[in-house]
Amino acid sequence: MIHVLLAALVPSVLGPLPGSFPRPAHEVVAVKAGTIYAVENDLVVEGGGTILIEDGRITAVGKDVEIPPGARVVDYGADAVIAPGLVAADTTFGAPRPSERTADLSVMAIEGFDPYASYVFALQEGVTCAYLPPARGRLIAGQGAVVKLAGRSDANGSGRVVSESAMIHGAVSAEARNTPGYWQPPIPATVDVGMGVEQPQLPRTLMGAIVALEELVALAQGGEDHGEYGPGVGARLRELIAAKRPWRMAADTEPEIRALLGFFGEKGLPLVIDGMGGTGSASGTALAGEIAKAGVAVIVDAPINPNAPGRDFGKDRDAAWPRFDVAAGLERAHVRFAITPANHVPASELRFAAEIASRGGLDRKAALRAITLSPAEILGVAARVGSLAPGKDADLAIFNGHPLEPGTSTLATWVDGEVAYKRSETAAVVLAVDELFLGDGDVLRPGEVLLENGRIRDVGQRVGRPAGAEIVRGRAAMPGMIDALGHLGLEGSGRVPATRFALGRIVEPGDLADKRVAKAGVTTVVLSPRGANRSGAPMTAYKPAGSNVEKMLVRDPTALRFQWTERNRLESGKSVREVLAKAAEYSKKWDEYEKKMATWTPPKEGEAGKGEEKKAGESKEGSEESKGEKKESGAEAQSEGDKKEGADEKKGEKKEKKEEGDKKKSGKKGEKEAVKTITGAWEAEIAIPPFEKVRLRLYVLEEDGKLSGSLRCSSLSDDLIQVAGERKEKKVTLSGEGTRGKASIEAEEKDGKLEGKLVQGAASVEIKLAQTSTEYEIAKRPERRKPKEEKEKKEIKGQPRAPGLDPELEPLRRAIKGEGAIVVGVDREDEILDCVEAFEGAKIKPILLGAKDAWKVADKIRGRVAGVLLSQPVVWTEPKTGAQRRNRYAEIAEAGIPIAFHSDAEEGAAELPAIAAYAVSQGMSPEAALRALTSDAAHMFAIDNRVGLIAPGLDADVALLDGSPLDLSTRVIRVWVAGEEVR
Amino acid sequence: MLVRNTRATARLLCAAVLLLLAPAVFAGGKIAIKVGRIITQAGPDILNGVIVIEDGRIKSVGPDSKAPWDVEVLDHPELVAFPGYVEAHSTRGMDRPNENIDVAPFLDVRDSIDPISFFFEDCLRSGILTVNVQQGPPAAFTGGCVIGAQGMVVKPFGLTIEQMLVKNGAGIKISAAPKAGKSRATQAQTLRKAFTDLRLYLDKLVQDKKDGKDYARREALYQGRDLEKEENKKGRAMEGSSTWKVKGLETVPRGEIDDKQEPLLRLVEGKIPAFVYCDAAASVPLALGVARENGFLAGTTLVLDGDAWKAADLIAEAGVPVVLGPNLMHVERDPVTGKEIETFVPGVFKKKNVRFALQSLNPQAQSLWYQAAVCVGYGLDRKEALDAVTRTPADILHLGDRVGSLEPGKDGNVLLLSGDPLSITTTVQYVVLDGNLVYDRSKDVRVKHLLEGVEQENAVPGGADAQAKPHDDEKAGEGEKAEKKKDAGEKKDGEKEGKKDGQAQR
Repeated sequence: MIHVLLAALVPSVLGPLPGSFPRPAHEVVAVKAGTIYAVENDLVVEGGGTILIEDGRITAVGKDVEIPPGARVVDYGADAVIAPGLVAADTTFGAPRPSERTADLSVMAIEGFDPYASYVFALQEGVTCAYLPPARGRLIAGQGAVVKLAGRSDANGSGRVVSESAMIHGAVSAEARNTPGYWQPPIPATVDVGMGVEQPQLPRTLMGAIVALEELVALAQGGEDHGEYGPGVGARLRELIAAKRPWRMAADTEPEIRALLGFFGEKGLPLVIDGMGGTGSASGTALAGEIAKAGVAVIVDAPINPNAPGRDFGKDRDAAWPRFDVAAGLERAHVRFAITPANHVPASELRFAAEIASRGGLDRKAALRAITLSPAEILGVAARVGSLAPGKDADLAIFNGHPLEPGTSTLATWVDGEVAYKRSETAAVVLAVDELFLGDGDVLRPGEVLLENGRIRDVGQRVGRPAGAEIVRGRAAMPGMIDALGHLGLEGSGRVPATRFALGRIVEPGDLADKRVAKAGVTTVVLSPRGANRSGAPMTAYKPAGSNVEKMLVRDPTALRFQWTERNRLESGKSVREVLAKAAEYSKKWDEYEKKMATWTPPKEGEAGKGEEKKAGESKEGSEESKGEKKESGAEAQSEGDKKEGADEKKGEKKEKKEEGDKKKSGKKGEKEAVKTITGAWEAEIAIPPFEKVRLRLYVLEEDGKLSGSLRCSSLSDDLIQVAGERKEKKVTLSGEGTRGKASIEAEEKDGKLEGKLVQGAASVEIKLAQTSTEYEIAKRPERRKPKEEKEKKEIKGQPRAPGLDPELEPLRRAIKGEGAIVVGVDREDEILDCVEAFEGAKIKPILLGAKDAWKVADKIRGRVAGVLLSQPVVWTEPKTGAQRRNRYAEIAEAGIPIAFHSDAEEGAAELPAIAAYAVSQGMSPEAALRALTSDAAHMFAIDNRVGLIAPGLDADVALLDGSPLDLSTRVIRVWVAGEEVR
Repeated sequence: MLVRNTRATARLLCAAVLLLLAPAVFAGGKIAIKVGRIITQAGPDILNGVIVIEDGRIKSVGPDSKAPWDVEVLDHPELVAFPGYVEAHSTRGMDRPNENIDVAPFLDVRDSIDPISFFFEDCLRSGILTVNVQQGPPAAFTGGCVIGAQGMVVKPFGLTIEQMLVKNGAGIKISAAPKAGKSRATQAQTLRKAFTDLRLYLDKLVQDKKDGKDYARREALYQGRDLEKEENKKGRAMEGSSTWKVKGLETVPRGEIDDKQEPLLRLVEGKIPAFVYCDAAASVPLALGVARENGFLAGTTLVLDGDAWKAADLIAEAGVPVVLGPNLMHVERDPVTGKEIETFVPGVFKKKNVRFALQSLNPQAQSLWYQAAVCVGYGLDRKEALDAVTRTPADILHLGDRVGSLEPGKDGNVLLLSGDPLSITTTVQYVVLDGNLVYDRSKDVRVKHLLEGVEQENAVPGGADAQAKPHDDEKAGEGEKAEKKKDAGEKKDGEKEGKKDGQAQR
């Protein structure tokens, strides 16, 4: 255990550590994105570009770059934008502090660089390269350095050092004028020697600063050293001047800048002006011409700290308020300049600093250059960083929009051809489309929808963009469509299950056919058996492409399906009426109970707490107790909460198990490579008389020779068969209990296939299973839990007793309350009227199914039904009354009765959009058709609190289209179900 | 006021303890120790063995053979003999841990060590018999230093520095961590500058000699220094492995070199080791860089703290030993997710084959035995863990021939433990130092007070308060006194529970 712990701890996961970059020898990587801002030569690649990286360096940038075979391709998608890794020309990394001397060239900023620290917050904003100041607040504070914030490096991080000595860093502005006097106490301080005196240091004024600079330059040129700047300054400065190191001097006001221009012009030394954009620069722009003439570069401070409270600038007439036009002025005068955040503002605000320069009129192109190539040039490191060009280091910042557009965030940051930062996988998704069809008939043009944590968080013409959000642009988007009555998941079964059967139990995540249906845009299917029964067949709305059972089920059961019309028309509706009568009585009992509970006041003393608890809880569990036999099924159907809880537990367990399994597997691999694990999905086709040939699917997880999983085959069982077994060498045995008795498989592994026999009862067939996947991605479904043993409940005297809970009538009661739906098959007009009337008596608005003649009585049933699911032919030819073609869907919809489309098929649900498009092509209003596909369908099944609309709070089921939803040419591009993209 | 009182009490108490033990000191450091088990740390354990110590040195270690007839025998078959723990680096035991001057290698901790500090008493009680006292702990506590004083190895027994002395000039303390008021860059600058200044100084000496100026010589004579002292017969030039040489230094007599510069010169010559403190991985490159540039890498030991383990690759490459900080588990948070990441530091260095010694937080709470036990708990071998508190620190202090194991010829330092050294219930029963019995737990007043409670009448330690208010006591009337007694009785009960705790904690 301890060793396992050690192994887990030693390789730290904290960011890229120095020396921890095992790099495959000579790897070629192709990074693709929709747009590339190379900055070099102002190259912009639009409509898809590629950057080739070889051994950490860029070898090609462009639209039509040939990707060599064997290259690793990383595609960030058409909406992504690649810019050069940003270069921060000023930072506070290394917590710089000034030395005691006014001019101390021996302070090397590089010594303050911590290659072991995490710079993730800067990398997260696309900053890959940073200048480290040696210190601030001195005439000459030392030598600045340029480093990378991540990337390949040798053990001491020197691989990240771009320039050990980039510039002489100093200041003539106010910050340099507080240098305290220099005092070095003698050791030992005796009576003879004394304590010494403080030696004052220049400058206190701008004049003093220039004088001191004069003296220093004179020292460097071999002037007499009186030692007032400390030993060795002259020699050091001489070396640096010989190496043509630029002088980066902080200056804020016009006099300071003019003084610098004059001094450095006279001495012929290279100058970089630092600051200028600070609050003191009222006249920076006026100077731009002179600066340009002198050929001096400028590092402009953005005069704002965005992530802090406001500052007071001064109330005087001539108080220096921040100006945002300095950068724009320099740009107009053709001065080379870089933009940085103000002093003490973190480098992660670099993009914001550049963005805010646009307030002064700087265009985006120039602003981008001012945080990439220009700083690289000014810092003297443009040969390696600052732009995307062959031969330069592969430092990339990949954004989800233009890097300088507000709301844009970073998708990834690359340094030296390696990913140094990647946004988290579970980040939000923003769909930004030209037309956003909300589902209720409204359209936002343009529209955006924000998906987060499986829900729709915001909808509008423009929504917020949480950091790291993926931004997907497109033509149109709509809510996921709803198949109002389909059979996807029945796998050919024609059996009608009992009313209390939870259809959710046959729902199975991870199925390929299900995903294909979802990819067609149909994200919700109201699953119905192929027929009805007397007490109502259960129907369940579920999402075929959900990633686990909880996410898949919308509400179980969603509706009950009845059949009104009988073959013997005299019998029509008889059974339904009986059920309705029972339901009415049942519902009445509950109503009475609820009414009593509402007026009942629990006894005060002692028992008060418990009484309240019961009242609040409506005490379903209590009622279960009173009707012992129905307890189990009741709990199953109703206590969804319990179920979910159970599922969660199971999931956790399973995860652990899986991990263990993985470990064991890997352990095993070492010993016996020969026998492959059979974990994964297997499929076969079998024909067990009297059934036809059907598909059999087996999901199995192998753990140490023990097998477990599920088997699905409509000929063997109506729901999933939980199977278990074992594997010895190549022999596999599995068995489980289905609704039609025990089924077992004995098979042998042969060439990656399982061949053997399947036995159920007397039947025995040959079976040949082929593996379709090696992953066991099935969430273990909740065990059918027995309801908890009721804690001894003291009956409180006088408390009304709850009526028994009847799972067969409960859905009807819900329908009466408007929380559920009843689907009833009926076709002739007189029967429709009878049916509607009967349901009206029970205070239920039914959904009519079939309803061949509904158009004839449309006026009479309007408002009395929840909706109509018309039988399949959209256009009906009535031979009896002559060749009369009617678009019944359009007629009912126009009559103001909600309709919905249904497939009455399994994977055929994928054709639903085509059915709707056909209805439109035959005269139905596209708006009504769209509603029928989404919100109307959701509303009639009372699942509109989860699906059917693009509205905040609803499930994030959205389809991205390349055109208007009901155009025949429109294709579904991408689909999200519960916030997860269906792939 | 309170502080002074505490100190006064401490002095009193120490005197008391030492007086108590005085009769137990054997003459001539001659003793035979018979125990049930000897953990020699230099081979297999010996059951029922005898350690014979003569003239303060171990004469023999072996199975139950005959003890010489003329020595006192300490016969405890129920106990376990173990070499004393070795503390490779400690910044305690001094009256103040730091000087304010950046570069002060001319200082010596011997002027600062306080022999009656509680620290040494606690060391004895927990079996730490060799302590390298060094200046300059982390900046957070005392401001830190750049180049600190010369350290000293002592044993925790004796009333004067001379009695305690094990080794002088144990090493110069250097800090690669920024001292208060400095950044990493300015710390590095000051550190490098110290060596640049040394060169400038030596250059100037040579130049002065050439120019016939004799200021340095006169100063040396004035101070009464021996111009041609000890090592100077071989030659006056710089010696050792120094990477840089000063041309013409051989013309300058050693004694002319100023005391302020001389210790650094010795460091550069490799004559004195260096203990370089690194608070984080970021300061490791500086520490190794300076040592390498100035040629004292071979004599360098890194004293690590914080996330310095991240630079283990660099350290392994440099081949220097390390002393690990008291926190063996390094905890940091992932800046994005906020998740805690824990690292077992000795495990990292073990993997990289770096020699490491452990350091105690303080002698009571995370003492060396406890640190070693924690290491075993996290998967280190028992031998490696025990070596890290005995043999390895002894080697680091260049005392491998004197302490760290029980072998003939080594110092007669033996711990008699009540059980296995790594067991939480084990206590140090006796300590034999240089062949003298210097500690007997049954006579340890402070332990007694801890376990059995303090009797109010005698008003002793822990009793700083009792000392602080003698007047109150005098003023107190009879009735009050009676009440106090009652309190004392109650306290006893309470402390009986404390007794159990105390035992559990050792």
